[in-house]
Amino acid sequence: MIKIAELEKIYRTEEVETVALNKLSFEVKEGEFVAVMGPSGCGKSTLLNIVGLLDDPDKGSFLFNGIEVADFNERKRADLRKRNIGFVFQSFNLIDELTVFENVELPLIYLGVKAPERKKRVEAVLDKMQIMHRRNHYPQQLSGGQQQRVAVARAVVNKPKLILADEPTGNLDSSNGNEVMQLLTDLNEQGTTIIMVTHSEHDARYSHRIIRMLDGQTVTENILV
Amino acid sequence: MIYNYLKIAIRNLLKYKFISFINLFGLTAGIACCLLILTYIINELSYDKYHPDADRTYRVTRSFRNAQTGIVSLNLGTVAPPFAPLLVNDFKEIEKITQLLPNGRTPVRYGEKMFNEENVYWGDEHFFDFFKVKVVKGNPAKALNDPYGIMLTEETAKKYFGNEEPLDKMIRLDNQLNFKVTGVYKAFPANSHVHPNILISFNTLKDTAVYGEENLRTNFGNNSFLTYIKLPKDYDIGKMEKQFPAFLNRHMPQGGKFKPSEGTALALQKLTDIHLHSQLDYEAEENGDIKRVYIFSAIALFILLIAGINYMNLSTARSALRAREIGVRKVVGAQRKEIIAQFLSESVLVSWLAMILALLLTWLTLPWLNKLSGQQLSIHILLRWDVIVPMALVPFVVGILSGIYPALFMSSFRPVQVLKGLFKVGGSTISFRRILVTTQFAISIVLIISTITVFRQMHYMQQKELGFDKTHIVTLPYSAGLNDGFDAFRTELLSNTYIKNAGRSSRIPTGRLLDAMGARIKRSDTLEPANADIKFVSADQDFISTYGIKVVSGRGFSKDFSTDTGAFVINEAAVQALGLNSGEDAIGKDFGYGNRTGKLIGVFNDFHFESMHQKIVPLVLLIPTSANAYGNISIKIAGTNIPAALSHIEKTWRKYLPETPYQYNFLDENFERLYQSEERQKSIFTVFAFIAIFIACLGLFGLSAFAISQRIKEIGIRKVLGASVNTIVALLSKDFLKLILIAAVIAFPIAWFAMDTWLQDFAYRINIPWWIFVVAGVIAGIIAFVTISFQAIRAAIANPVKSLRSE
Repeated sequence: MIKIAELEKIYRTEEVETVALNKLSFEVKEGEFVAVMGPSGCGKSTLLNIVGLLDDPDKGSFLFNGIEVADFNERKRADLRKRNIGFVFQSFNLIDELTVFENVELPLIYLGVKAPERKKRVEAVLDKMQIMHRRNHYPQQLSGGQQQRVAVARAVVNKPKLILADEPTGNLDSSNGNEVMQLLTDLNEQGTTIIMVTHSEHDARYSHRIIRMLDGQTVTENILV
Repeated sequence: MIYNYLKIAIRNLLKYKFISFINLFGLTAGIACCLLILTYIINELSYDKYHPDADRTYRVTRSFRNAQTGIVSLNLGTVAPPFAPLLVNDFKEIEKITQLLPNGRTPVRYGEKMFNEENVYWGDEHFFDFFKVKVVKGNPAKALNDPYGIMLTEETAKKYFGNEEPLDKMIRLDNQLNFKVTGVYKAFPANSHVHPNILISFNTLKDTAVYGEENLRTNFGNNSFLTYIKLPKDYDIGKMEKQFPAFLNRHMPQGGKFKPSEGTALALQKLTDIHLHSQLDYEAEENGDIKRVYIFSAIALFILLIAGINYMNLSTARSALRAREIGVRKVVGAQRKEIIAQFLSESVLVSWLAMILALLLTWLTLPWLNKLSGQQLSIHILLRWDVIVPMALVPFVVGILSGIYPALFMSSFRPVQVLKGLFKVGGSTISFRRILVTTQFAISIVLIISTITVFRQMHYMQQKELGFDKTHIVTLPYSAGLNDGFDAFRTELLSNTYIKNAGRSSRIPTGRLLDAMGARIKRSDTLEPANADIKFVSADQDFISTYGIKVVSGRGFSKDFSTDTGAFVINEAAVQALGLNSGEDAIGKDFGYGNRTGKLIGVFNDFHFESMHQKIVPLVLLIPTSANAYGNISIKIAGTNIPAALSHIEKTWRKYLPETPYQYNFLDENFERLYQSEERQKSIFTVFAFIAIFIACLGLFGLSAFAISQRIKEIGIRKVLGASVNTIVALLSKDFLKLILIAAVIAFPIAWFAMDTWLQDFAYRINIPWWIFVVAGVIAGIIAFVTISFQAIRAAIANPVKSLRSE
């Protein structure tokens, strides 16, 4: 599903040049659950952003479902992104001014899904995440675990093929964290590919494979399953 | 999608109440000011447009010039009576013509009811073909046809006849002529350049006892007839005006070596241009001024611009708070154009809300503006399709213009950075915001300088030494009933100790000086035409002393010298215009004026007869051959007991003139009226300038609050390291004050140019002193400092531990 080769990304400010990705190559197959680990600043997040089509690489090749997307412009990337990729962030990133329902509905609006259909799909996914009773609440009124469940709901509502999770349990206590990990595992078992960046060895053990990064390169790969 | 945008827009408005209030209030006030000014402008532009064929109706005007120098000395909106029939005869393209002769202040009497009427005109049978007013009684085609017929407005008829039937009633004018009421019409609307309340049949003038057919046919010197013509559609008036010189030479008698066309000219003026574009020496009523329309349009746009800038500034400043939302939207699939659309729909929504509130505000404040401006504006002026439709588009335009920059800016956020919290509002946007704030303050400073200049000029005009004493002078219209008994009347007046003096004259100060004849002065042996334009006033022996006018050489008229009835007294400007060396040089010189000759016996100082808009012109005083030339009586009273003086004047008046309405004015009030329209302009200008500055301050207040909130951590660190409250306030204020300084530098030349242009309208004007600029700059600085320091002090005295911990 994802095939990356010789990927490079360099951040430049006026005085400093930081190499975030240094000729990175790896592959993720459809249905896989991959964890990416490494110390701060090793390039994991950059990788996730590029894979998530939020950022573009400076050099190298990135095949998404066999299509070269490294040189896509923003409009094309946005289009591909909204149809195929769901995101889960450490800090949830829910919009404070929208209710639970409206937050989850947002991707469907940008996909152009009609209102009755949206309602059906949002309710289905909220039901599945067991936060239906909170549908009219605003994010500030929810606990961290509930917020992250909403974020997961939003990530999966348009049935993406790939979910990118950036330290999804980073802001949660262990029981809420385990719950979210269980959700991701369930999604993976239903066929969704998941790439997760994490610092937590515990979380990483939910995955099939761990890629360890250092200084913008992969150093080892552990296959867990 | 739009629903989603609006939903979040409204929730954002409610969430950030303070900033929303500044935005909404600023835009509302801005749009309301625009609407108020728009009402005024539409009304100004609507003058005389509703008359039938207004676009092809023209007024014939006449100017006089010195045939030798070509310098124009007089411009009149009126012409002599023979021109109308001659024009119709010579120019076949004239479809219709009508004449309208103002009768000035006229005593009107019906039974016991007696009033002085101001808007009395002689109008002919074509009047109603030109002016669209509804005739409610009588036959419009005939009512002004027969001699001694008269028409009244409904109000005027009610004043005299109450509920009685006005038709066929007889009323008496000027104490000498009786007229039969032949019709009643609705009053002219406010947006007309004339407002005849009484129309007398023009044909009455043919009666020799009134004016005479001979005079109507041949008197080219009585230029007081308003004359209107109707021309075919799309007719090129230049074609007709080119033929006017030949027309004048054909019909006017040639006096001296110059052709008539060398000394006078006719021109055409579009009816609909009269109100805003005509500022002739004689107008039927005081007109508006297109310049005023421009000035207020500019102010309206300024205010809207300032409010729009507030929106841009605050939205961009606040963008950091919404960066995450934008990031999230992009992550879940929003494209840039969708983000732009979202923010634009937000600013359009705010503009729409502002528009609705502004309409309400306009409706509420219009009566107040009317009071201030002396206008009769109504919200109905705006309720027309050709106004409503563009007005409905205004929120879109304002919303898009003020929203486009924040929208473009915010939509460019990269989701990666904003979601990672790496986001910081970049340097380029800060400098763009600085440009906007500088613009706002530059406008504010221009307005402050303008306001101070306008105030100083008004003060100067009212305080400038006039050259005579205007206080405690009561003026009354002269009545022919006093022609024989004036001396007895005057003696009786002066028998009261509170009456100091009384004199008669054709015109009184505050009036215009429009009467002129040819002047001749003795050079070597003969009287030679003086190449000088000298106006004249008919005055009696007591005029100069009543006004306390200073005689600098020779003497004024005196009853002790019987020869004075043929003598002349001139002002210093006339001495100069006649090429005489000094006042002393003038005394005893032979002088000719019109067809009179006599000696120059005195020179008086140059005093301000007319308003400060006019230069002091050469002036000659002469004692008229007939007392009919007098138009006014001026009475100097003692300031100690004004009511007693007034009651004595009234008593004496009623004794001598029982048939004439008693009506007096105070001269100093006339002077105030002279500058009334400027005074009004000044107050309106001040109010709008204040609003503009206030909105700019609101914006600065919001922006500084925001800028400071972003530096809370820095302030905390500085305080921990030992910075005092003062140094922190200075630090936070410095940035903004620098902008004020730049704004001042930009504003100064603009303000100077604008005010210098404005002052050109006054013959006597102030120089713009340098300190006005300093004061304006300092005022702007203080306003800005107070606005900012309110926030800065709060930030500076806050406990640093709090701000640092919350990071």
